[in-house]
Amino acid sequence: MRLEFTVNDKKRVLEVSADKRLIDILREDLGLMGTKEGCGEGECGACTILLDGKAIHSCLLVAAQMSGRNVTTIEGLEKNGKLDPLQSAFVEEVAIQCGYCTPGMILSAKALLLENPAPTETEIRRALAGNICRCSGYTQIIRAVERAAREGGAAI
Amino acid sequence: MKSLKIVGVSHPIHDAKAKVRGNANYAGDMQLAGMQYAAMLLSPKPHALIKSIDASEALALEGVETVLHCFNTTERTFSRFRTVSRQPGIMNQERVFNRELRQVGDRVACVVADTPEIARQAVRLIKVEYEDLPFTTDVYEVLDGALADMHPEGAFFEFEREMGDKSLVAQDCVETVTHSSLDRMSHTAMEPHACVAYYNKSMDEMTIWSPNQTVFGIRTVVADLFEMQYHKVRVIKSTMGGSFGCKQDWILEPIAACATLATGKPVKLVYSREEVMLNTSCRAPFIADVKSKFTRDGVLQSLDADVIADAGAYLGNTMAYLGYQSALMPRTYKYPYARYRGRGVCTNGTTSGGLRGWSSGELCLFVDHNFNMAARKLGIDPLELRLKNVYKPWEKEMADNISLEEIRTKECIELGREKFAYDEKKRADADFNSKNERYQRGVGVSCGGHFNGYFPHALDFSGVEMRFTESGSVIVNVAVHDHGCGTVQAIKMIVAETLGLPVDMIWCAEGDSTYNPFDTGCYASRSIYVIGRAVKDCCHKLQEQLLQDMASALGLPEEDLEIVDAQVRSKNDPSICFNYTEAVHKILFTLVKEVWVKHEYANTTNCGVTGTHFAHVEVDTWTGMTKILDYMAVHDIGRAINPEICRAQVQGAALMGSGVALMESLHTNPKNGKSVSSLKNYHVINAWEAPQVQVLFVEDGLTGGPYESKSIGEVALVPVAAAIVGAVNEALQSDFCECPLNPDKIVAMMQERRTKA
Repeated sequence: MRLEFTVNDKKRVLEVSADKRLIDILREDLGLMGTKEGCGEGECGACTILLDGKAIHSCLLVAAQMSGRNVTTIEGLEKNGKLDPLQSAFVEEVAIQCGYCTPGMILSAKALLLENPAPTETEIRRALAGNICRCSGYTQIIRAVERAAREGGAAI
Repeated sequence: MKSLKIVGVSHPIHDAKAKVRGNANYAGDMQLAGMQYAAMLLSPKPHALIKSIDASEALALEGVETVLHCFNTTERTFSRFRTVSRQPGIMNQERVFNRELRQVGDRVACVVADTPEIARQAVRLIKVEYEDLPFTTDVYEVLDGALADMHPEGAFFEFEREMGDKSLVAQDCVETVTHSSLDRMSHTAMEPHACVAYYNKSMDEMTIWSPNQTVFGIRTVVADLFEMQYHKVRVIKSTMGGSFGCKQDWILEPIAACATLATGKPVKLVYSREEVMLNTSCRAPFIADVKSKFTRDGVLQSLDADVIADAGAYLGNTMAYLGYQSALMPRTYKYPYARYRGRGVCTNGTTSGGLRGWSSGELCLFVDHNFNMAARKLGIDPLELRLKNVYKPWEKEMADNISLEEIRTKECIELGREKFAYDEKKRADADFNSKNERYQRGVGVSCGGHFNGYFPHALDFSGVEMRFTESGSVIVNVAVHDHGCGTVQAIKMIVAETLGLPVDMIWCAEGDSTYNPFDTGCYASRSIYVIGRAVKDCCHKLQEQLLQDMASALGLPEEDLEIVDAQVRSKNDPSICFNYTEAVHKILFTLVKEVWVKHEYANTTNCGVTGTHFAHVEVDTWTGMTKILDYMAVHDIGRAINPEICRAQVQGAALMGSGVALMESLHTNPKNGKSVSSLKNYHVINAWEAPQVQVLFVEDGLTGGPYESKSIGEVALVPVAAAIVGAVNEALQSDFCECPLNPDKIVAMMQERRTKA
């Protein structure tokens, strides 16, 4: 099928099969390797992207669902050479170890902040419940989201 | 302890900015021109012989390059566990593609094609004729003679080991016997296994990229398997999305090597989560019987452990794992006599491998559960019982007769007791439990010890090269393999601290078998204690070289010069002062040489390193759900090089170990031999459920590690499951240790108790 959609503010027109998964379109057709596959069944959250501003698993979407939609991947967060406050906060708060969950974790947090600019710890925990981090105990991640909320992370 | 500028100050991991941008290059992200993609056909059978394979339809599909299987690939065998050439005690039991399939998930065939989609489509077109063979996933059936012909060496292996002096055991003792079991567990590193390999036919050279724990280990296995000279096989460690032990077995590397040798094209192989769960490795299921003898006032006299580990289809590291476990027997508590019997049993279950802690967490669970039951019998508080039996600094342990140096278990217990409010919590729980029927609370405490490196069990050796660049920055060439827990950053911090440079003036390589000096791998928590020590010593050597060269270049006696604040200065003449850049140029143009050194370090120490963990839980006796109310980990760490990363690791370990204790089970169905193969059925603790984990460090230095540090990454996991199980048993006044203590088991136990009552 002919797929027209927006990825990281850029219009894209692709010829893909209708059942091709969004994660594969992003990685194989667009070379956006920041979106990670951890389980392929919506359990781990590593492949989380923003679809029209909401966090969603890109492994569970297919091309047929994407026409006219607006996708933001981890590569789309940095604006004018400046990291998003969430990205900076994850670095500063030492919220990264192996980094494989990081893009999905940041995008789930982004979706939260877009909806709720000043979340409580409980709200952050709930928003990140679908993103598995095996390295940490989530402490630094939660702290990073709290910091980003204070430092303007709710804007896009 | 001396206060330092860089070491001891929290820093983000070295590639944090790449990771937040999504451009850290994991093996699965790699792209090479002309790349082919591999997809696997795994065995649906627990034990079968392949009669025939018809790949004609798969090969006819447009875009398919080749189909590899047992009839068209090498018949040579390898061990997934081997890391050193001529490593003793290794059994080569696997082929790249086995003809006799010994587990569900065993490797049947591999399609190599232009795209991953075509490769996967072609896999479905392969026709295999199987001859079913008898199978079992029950270790006791194997011990009774089943599967005797599955491997030429037999299906089970055992050893017994005595340590200490039996005659020193007091006569009038209280004996406590406990039984424990642990189900199979998945490491669940977030990055599934991946590998890229390229064989350049014209040059007869192979390059392999993978997330792994020793490039030299893969080099020796792959080169031997395909009969290549070692200099023709270059292995490069890629960014690793977590290991926890799952990336120390060689599975994808031999397949990808086989595929690129067959095609002469670069091949990428990325496993799905299901393939990871079925065909890589898991932590073995364990059964353990422990017998302790304590004097009536609670002094441990002897421990006797009889341990069975289910190795799964291939022996892999299982016997080494058990051997290590026996050596861990006296790493936490001091007592005169121990006996250990280990049996490793091959079954038709998923093949076992090493988990973080390498058998230490398992041993801690078995032993500390026994301690808790013994404490009940003796009428002594479990914490007090531990205090009575921990080591004093500089005592020797009886397995290897090495000094535990500045071991600080006692301080950890006492600090945790105070900060966790152990006694207050116990009193409050007694009150809470007396007033509640449905919910019951309990506190558990556990102490677990580990190692820092291989010494004295295996080659504990590391080589480092270090050079100044012309801009005065430093390149460190050492085979480190960052699992994602900050090893590279810690090494850079050690170098920066020692040489008086900012951290970003240091570059540190990761594993590359062609360019790195030889090394024996990033296992056994040796990365900082051993490799970091080698690196720190190398820094001093580099400074000595710089002074020597500058003395020659300036025509001054060496003893007149010193290095202060990254400057070479004359002690007598303040006008003679060169920063590193100027010094390097002076030497280059005067002596026509580079300032560089090579250092080799063989470790000969292994100080005591322990953690004491405290868990406070609430068990819902109606649903069997256990909630962790509070958790504290106190670690005897020497000095935390990068403190926040150390805390994050300990907190991550607390969740992993809680999962082991309460929910994680890669359970194998005995009827069809199939293990859980999806994260839908394998639950790990998420952000919503995660308790706050408080972490305290006892830092008093004086170890053989760089800047007085000890290991942390593995020991952090050791006491966790034992602390949680202890807390559950305290809450329910129960005595079971059949992990995971999931709601089904707790409800069944409560029902049985009610029926009896």
